[in-house]
Amino acid sequence: MGVQLLLDKISVKDIQLYDVYRAEGGYSSVEKALKLKPEDIVEEVKKSGLRGRGGAGFPTGMKWSFIAKPSGVPRHLVCNADESEPGTFKDRFLMEKIPHLLIEGLIVSSFALGSNTTYIYIRGEYAWIVDILEQAISEAEQHGWLGKNILGTGFDCNIYVQRGAGAYICGEETALIESLEGKRGNPRIKPPFPAVEGLWRRPTVVNNVETIAAVVPIINIGAEAYSKIGVGRSTGTKLISACGNINKPGVYEIDMTISVEDFVYSKDYCGGIKNNKKLKACIPGGSSVPILPANLLFNTADGKTRYMNYESLSEGGFATGSMLGSGGFIVLDEDQCIVKHTYTLARFYRHESCGQCSPCREGTGWMEKILLKFLNGEGRHNDIDLLWEIQSKIEGNTICPLGDAAAWPVAAAIRHFRHEFEQKIKI
Amino acid sequence: MIAFSTNQLQKFNQIVARYPEGKQKSALIPSLLFAQECFDNWLSVEVMDYIAQCLKITSIEVYEVATFYSMFNLKPVGKYVFEVCQTGPCMIQGAETIIDYIKKKLHIEVGQTTPDGLFTLKTVECLGACGYAPMMQQGKFYREHLTPEKVDQIINELTSKI
Repeated sequence: MGVQLLLDKISVKDIQLYDVYRAEGGYSSVEKALKLKPEDIVEEVKKSGLRGRGGAGFPTGMKWSFIAKPSGVPRHLVCNADESEPGTFKDRFLMEKIPHLLIEGLIVSSFALGSNTTYIYIRGEYAWIVDILEQAISEAEQHGWLGKNILGTGFDCNIYVQRGAGAYICGEETALIESLEGKRGNPRIKPPFPAVEGLWRRPTVVNNVETIAAVVPIINIGAEAYSKIGVGRSTGTKLISACGNINKPGVYEIDMTISVEDFVYSKDYCGGIKNNKKLKACIPGGSSVPILPANLLFNTADGKTRYMNYESLSEGGFATGSMLGSGGFIVLDEDQCIVKHTYTLARFYRHESCGQCSPCREGTGWMEKILLKFLNGEGRHNDIDLLWEIQSKIEGNTICPLGDAAAWPVAAAIRHFRHEFEQKIKI
Repeated sequence: MIAFSTNQLQKFNQIVARYPEGKQKSALIPSLLFAQECFDNWLSVEVMDYIAQCLKITSIEVYEVATFYSMFNLKPVGKYVFEVCQTGPCMIQGAETIIDYIKKKLHIEVGQTTPDGLFTLKTVECLGACGYAPMMQQGKFYREHLTPEKVDQIINELTSKI
């Protein structure tokens, strides 16, 4: 196993309880951070190279540095716990098993950003995790880590948990903000960016659960040490949720220097393909990213070893590469039908399209119907081209990235598995 | 006339208190989830109008939100709702077998409720439990690694509660 920064204490008994967490050194990053200037923490996070762990991989420190500071206007930090990308269940694991890590990270981050009222927006289905988080918040409050004048510094902070009610789109930050304002989750046109006009038109930063948790080790070990873990622009560690036809589905922390092949076959991680089947394909970063056939998963098109990090997984662009995305690692064995799997994803995106933009609202349903035609053996040869054309007209033509997220899986399935579509054509 | 009990009203006020003065509309989604818990697990027009009144917003603001999110039931459902995930990762682990088994076992189709009003079957999209597939949400919790035997156990467990 590589370096563990987030899950290193996960096997400590009762680590979800405050006393145990504190005895293991928990909340020391708050003690350290609150002695610093907020801008120094932002600088530290910048130096660490931490990139947003929700999927987009945008540098966190840079996002923080964009927050506007008009005088007299409150600023907000909102934690995105609306984990809904198929294949992704890492934030849930973190919140369930070690909730205080998130709360600790939120206190430090709130201080850095000047947020006195911070919200955790959690998907509504994770109903029982709300209780776990509220318990952790109340324990942190009782011990003086939250509330008024934290550690005598004059900094006040409260954290509230807000449940969503079933909408993938609310993982998109402006849709999340709309939802937090009590509206439909329709993404906003940017600019203005949330850092300038976010929640209640106040400057707002929205960060993923894992991103916030990573702030804790950055403060504890320092940005320099953190940035030396990993490789290139993939610094630190990443949580990967692995599922599909593997022996050991679950959540793993990797340090981004491990090869994809080792991740799939090592007994410390996926443990190989279930029932000794052959690997057919893999969606390495959540359902939106391009599917890769086995031959492009372990090696790039020009024969280099592929690693589990941002750069290596995207090498070759969409023609022969994919993305690290959210770290939702879906493995398909030789028995799986790519057309059928793609159909379930197309249905998912049709269901989750908010309906604001016509290309996405109409295109996702159209793609679902054509894919169903193939599944029923009713596909025609020109339907493959039609499917390709529809996805290409959704991509880049919508307010938010859901359109792209719906288009990419269909495009990649046709790109790499056209023969499976052809086999389902009605002769 | 529908109304929160004194205890429920206290909980509702706590929800509203999470937001700054004048931003009480932000409490809408949590309030609707809470109202659903309080009033038979669905949102009738009467319930939605009541929430509008409690939050001092118009009824249409409530309707447009209630119709957007998949967790709001806009018609009555059974006492226990099985929401089986059918997205890719669950599909490849046999979600369809589970859905078919529940249909046969309860003699209902997806979207229907058993005549005794006990069970409703729904299919849903990804619930973030892909590593523990196939799975379903049942009330507040997830039921994971489902097999036909496990479905039987769950149905027996819930039936024996009555």
